[in-house]
Parts: sequence; C-alpha cells; structure tokens
Amino acid sequence: MSKILRIDMSDLSHKWEAVPKEYEILAGRAFTSAVVNKEVEPMSHPLRENNMFVISPGLLAGTPAPSSGRLSVGAKSPLTGGIKEANAGGLTADRLARIGIRGIIIDGAPSRGSKDWYSIVVRKDNCEIVKTNNYADKGLYELIGKIWKDYPVKPGIIGCGIAGQRLMKCAGVFGNNPENTDPGRYAGRGGLGAVLGSKRIVAIISDSTGGEIPTPKDKERFDRGRKALREALDKHPVTGKLTSDDGKPFGGLKNYGTNILQNILNEAGGLPSMGFSSGRFDGAAKISGEAVHELVDKTKKKFGDAAEASYAHACHPGCVMRCSNAVPYEKTGKLHVSPLEYESAWALGTNLGIGVLHDVAELNRLCNDLGLDTIEAGNTLAMLMEGGLIKYGDGPGAIKALKEAYSTDSALGRLVCSGTQTAGEALGVTRIPVVKGQALPAYDPRPIRGIGVTYATTTMGADHTAGYTIAAEILGIKGTVTDPRALNKAELSRAFQATTAYIDATGYCLFIAFCILDDDDGFKGMTDSVNGFLGKDIDVTEYGMAILKNERAFNKNAGFTEKDDRLPEFFRTEPLPPHNVTFDVTDAELDAVFKGM
Amino acid sequence: MIEIHLYGNLRALVSGSNASEDTVLKLEFVENETFAQFTGRLGLTPADLGDCFINGNLAKADYVLADGDRIGLFPFNMVLLCGGQHLKGHGYTRDDVDVDYY
Ligand code: SF4
Repeated sequence: MSKILRIDMSDLSHKWEAVPKEYEILAGRAFTSAVVNKEVEPMSHPLRENNMFVISPGLLAGTPAPSSGRLSVGAKSPLTGGIKEANAGGLTADRLARIGIRGIIIDGAPSRGSKDWYSIVVRKDNCEIVKTNNYADKGLYELIGKIWKDYPVKPGIIGCGIAGQRLMKCAGVFGNNPENTDPGRYAGRGGLGAVLGSKRIVAIISDSTGGEIPTPKDKERFDRGRKALREALDKHPVTGKLTSDDGKPFGGLKNYGTNILQNILNEAGGLPSMGFSSGRFDGAAKISGEAVHELVDKTKKKFGDAAEASYAHACHPGCVMRCSNAVPYEKTGKLHVSPLEYESAWALGTNLGIGVLHDVAELNRLCNDLGLDTIEAGNTLAMLMEGGLIKYGDGPGAIKALKEAYSTDSALGRLVCSGTQTAGEALGVTRIPVVKGQALPAYDPRPIRGIGVTYATTTMGADHTAGYTIAAEILGIKGTVTDPRALNKAELSRAFQATTAYIDATGYCLFIAFCILDDDDGFKGMTDSVNGFLGKDIDVTEYGMAILKNERAFNKNAGFTEKDDRLPEFFRTEPLPPHNVTFDVTDAELDAVFKGM
Repeated sequence: MIEIHLYGNLRALVSGSNASEDTVLKLEFVENETFAQFTGRLGLTPADLGDCFINGNLAKADYVLADGDRIGLFPFNMVLLCGGQHLKGHGYTRDDVDVDYY
C-alpha cells in the first residue's frame, strides 16, 4: 500500500506514485541513496533547483519492532559536495509510515527572487503546500510550539531553521521530539538543512490521522524476531533496562546516554580536546553523562514532578533503549536542552575546552534553536578559537559568538554557521579537521585508527556512524600488532560500513548494534523481523553493499577520487598526547577498503 | 603507587565522591601484580567490570602492573559503545562467546 509523494517546488505541484519494482524493498537510507544516485544530476549545485531532498522512514517505522522509528533524509550535500544520508528519531518516521508513505521526493525550487516561504503538510492521501511566511526567521523552540497549535493533531515536524533558511553549510534538519518540547532530533550532518532552505521550505508537517500500523507479510516471523530482539536488548548491559532486579543502575545508555563515552574516551586517551590537540580533557567529568545523571536526580529531588529533567528518554515512540535525556536548568528545574548527546557535549564542550555543563547545554540549545548541526557548529567554533577570535575554554565567548547567528547582518554570525572548512580557511587555520569538507566527530583517529579508516573512506565525509569500528580497533592503540584483525582493517571497515547501511535502511537505531554484535539471538531477531516484514529473505551484507555502491557511484560521478579518501595532513604529522601517536594507516590500506567496488 | 580513576557505580569505593568530578583512589604498588589480582584486591570480580584502561590502553586480565600506572575502572555497564565485547579480547564480558580472537 505504500506510495511515493513527489513534490515540485518550482510550480508548487505534487503527485502520488506507486513504489516502483526496483525500490520495492528499499526504505530509509537504501531509498534515499538510490533516489539521489538515480535522479540527482551529480554535478548540480547542491543549493539550486537541480538538487533534490529525499525523505524516507525506515522499513520498520511505525511497527511495534523495538527502536525502529528512524527517519532518513538524503540529498547532494552542500557541505561535502557528495551524497548524504542523515537520520534521526522524532515523530515523522512513525507518522509517515502509518499513512503509507515510503518516501517523499522534493525537486525544483521557486523562481529566483521569490521571497515566500512554504511548508508541506502531509496527511493520509493528501498533500498541501502552504505559504508560511510567518514560520520563517523564527527560533525553532517557538516554531514547533506554534505548529502544534496550528495543527492540533500532534504532527511530526522536520525542517530547517534560520541557518538553513540562509543556506549555511552547518544547517541540519531538525525534528520535534515526541513531547514537542525541543526541536533537538536532528538529522544533523552534511548541511541538509540548507537544501530545504534552498527550496524555500521551512517545515514538513506529517499528520497520521486515519493511518494504520504497517502490516508485515509474515506476521509470525516478524513477531518472533522483534520479540527476540527486544529480549536481547533488555538484558544487555549497554542497551538494557534502567535498573536491575535488585534496583541498581543497569543499562548504560538509559542511565548515562551516549555521553557515557565522555569519561571512557577520556580514559582511553582518544577524546579529542581543544581542536584535536590532546586525547584527554580535564573537564570531561563535569560534562559527562554521569554528571547529567546526577543533575537530573538532584533536580527531581528539589522540584519533584515539576522538574523537566530526565534520562532514559525516548527520541521516538517505541524506542526501548532510550539513550536520550532532558537536561534542566539547575536553578529552575525547567528544560534547558533535550537531548545532550555525546557528540554534542564533545563538539561544544571538550573540543572547545569548555568544562561547564550549563555553558555546553546553552550552546546546544542555541544550535537546536538556530537549526545547526552541533558537530559542525562546534568544530566551526573551534576554528574561531584556533584562529584567535575566542579563547579555548571561554564558554560565554562561544555563546556570544553563536548568538550573532540570529542577526541578519552579522558577518561573524554567518561565519559561525559556515562550516569548519570555510571558517578555518577564512581565519588562516592550517589544522582543519575535515574529510570531504565535513568535520570530524568525537573520536580521535590517531589512537583509534579504525575509525580513522572509516572517516577517510566513507562517502559521507568524516562520519563516525558510517562504520563504527571502535570496539574492534581501539586495541590498535600504541600500535601493538597482537590483534590479528589489524591485518584486516580494510575488510573490517567495509563490513561495518555495509552492516551500518543495512541498519540505517531498516529504521532500527544504529545502537542496536551494541547488543546484536554480542548476542546471536538478538542478531537473528533483527533479521527475522526484517525478513518477516518483507516476506522474503535479504542478506545483510549484500543489501548494505548495494547501498554503499549507490553512494560511491554518485560520488564518483560528482568528481570524487581516492585522493578524497584522506585525513588532513596534521593527523599524520602531529602526535596526539597522551599516547603520542599519529595516524599511520597507509594510503594503500585506505584504498583497499573499497578496491574493486 | 597506583592511581585509580573510578567511574559509575565504582565511585562508591571512595566515600563522598560525586559524578561531576574525578574520583581518584591511590593504592600501594605491589610487585608482580596482574590486573586481575589488583581488581581482586579491590573486591571486584570480572563480572563487575566493563572496559577498563591502563595508561589509556584497554586493560587485560594478565597485564602486570608497573609502579605509577594510571588505571581507569569502569563497571560492567560502562563500555565503549560499539558492540562486540568479545572482539575486544580483554575477557571482561558477561556472557560466554563462541568467537575468541585471542
Ligand atoms: S537508542 Fe537513543 S538515539 Fe536510538 S532510537 Fe533510542 S533514544 Fe533514539
């Protein structure tokens, strides 16, 4: 029953199409990457009418499979110039899946000089393109509140904020959280918010009224699979329940969120701090997941039910791992920002030498309000620090600089939203941590070389989620070659990248990987639920590789060569304390990852 | 002297500790002590532990400690988020695994 909705912004028209045979089993990232590769002219300017913006809920979105409500968005990226898929939780995947939408493909743009802003409202068998000039140039906290008033059906919302509307390369695609209290569910990376802005779209509003739960082809197998996966997730110490039977803290993600990593990477000496100049940060504990946990408990004690604070928060209906949180203002107990994730706490804290939880939460709130990707914005702020405009560690200075972004005529405000590479070059910085124009996330590739291989070789630009090889690679620290798999980095990175692509297509949150790689029953639960839903067997690696092939084909046609699969020079020449190692994976090893593909 | 940084529920080993500061314990160095023996000295079993670090390297049970080592101790529910505990080869997993790379 699922359909594709095509929207042409040049004449504000739309039409519905049946899902063609070739896309029959594609959803999420598999769908967005297939469409972008097939339909977007690879040499087109990402911020002009020939780029497309593609949206697709994961295959199992809207079903009772655990943590399966992720939404993928795709386009040619204004940040990297290559293909991009970014995904997030929020409500939209669930809403779209329930009204039978496999994908939305947005093409064209209003004529140049057009001053109007639009929003797209999608309902069961119905689409409206509405003029919403009153939605533009607004902070997103205010905007999502307004939209829920205008459309009192608890719709999913995605869109772009001020940064995207001004075509800035740090702009992410925001999404409202299930409570609609925060626009912080970001498909952040690659500047895709600016692609929406270039099409003069502020928001895409999805209303599932009259919709229904998608039905699996083989219900018995689907149910068996999802239950097995659920069981595996619940009992695993990372993804499991909040407390154990005797009431002690159990599941790591529920208790500390992804920011559990702050302290762990710090101990490992792989936590990039102050613009990738050290692998340890002495303020790490203060902005860690443990510190947030403690603040939440304190706030709840003080304000009782009035406290807007939580851990074990779900980013979309039906998440059982619940790594999200809501960080309160310490003084009032009101919501400051939700969520504060590891990558954000790192980008806006550690990476800037800021070890004050309030300042980091404030920077994150500003990013959410302006429509900025926290990782790219944090790295851009680091360039301002590296370039001498702000001092490392100056929280109030960073907040002030970011606030400039609201102003229509502030050059600094534009610079802060312009992306790490652009800002770094503008300020004469020679240590610019980007691959394919996209800033590195929160794992230093010198001590953790496997992730460095992924940063370098993924089509997405430096992206940790593209192939999460950290477990298997951290042993490479200090170059000990006792690890037999070290001989096989290329294969490892490729296998992880393919599995990741598969998970991104299913709608499952990537974090199920923490469990299913340990638990064979969980892994089988995942594949059973997917195969049961489709009513046929698909091979994880094959399906994932097909996605990667589409993505690599697009980048090749857009002019990328293996020379683009490299880390910046300073990772090879500047040793990182405390391990004092450089990134020493050879170019030949990097090229081996996708050789012959 | 061995410097131990404690995290999660292991912070309780130091009274009055709090999560937004470093919780550090200093213990006597014992000649020829392995990491497993050392954690035993603290009353911890392998099932209590997640990914631990010695001077920033993933700790293995048979590592022989040197005077001045910095140890980071994480409880069972605090590990590098990446899946595949058994891939790490340090032996600190809660379940038996069929694949052992070491
Ligand atoms: S584990 Fe976290 S990121 Fe993943 S779906 Fe659940 S709340 Fe969202």
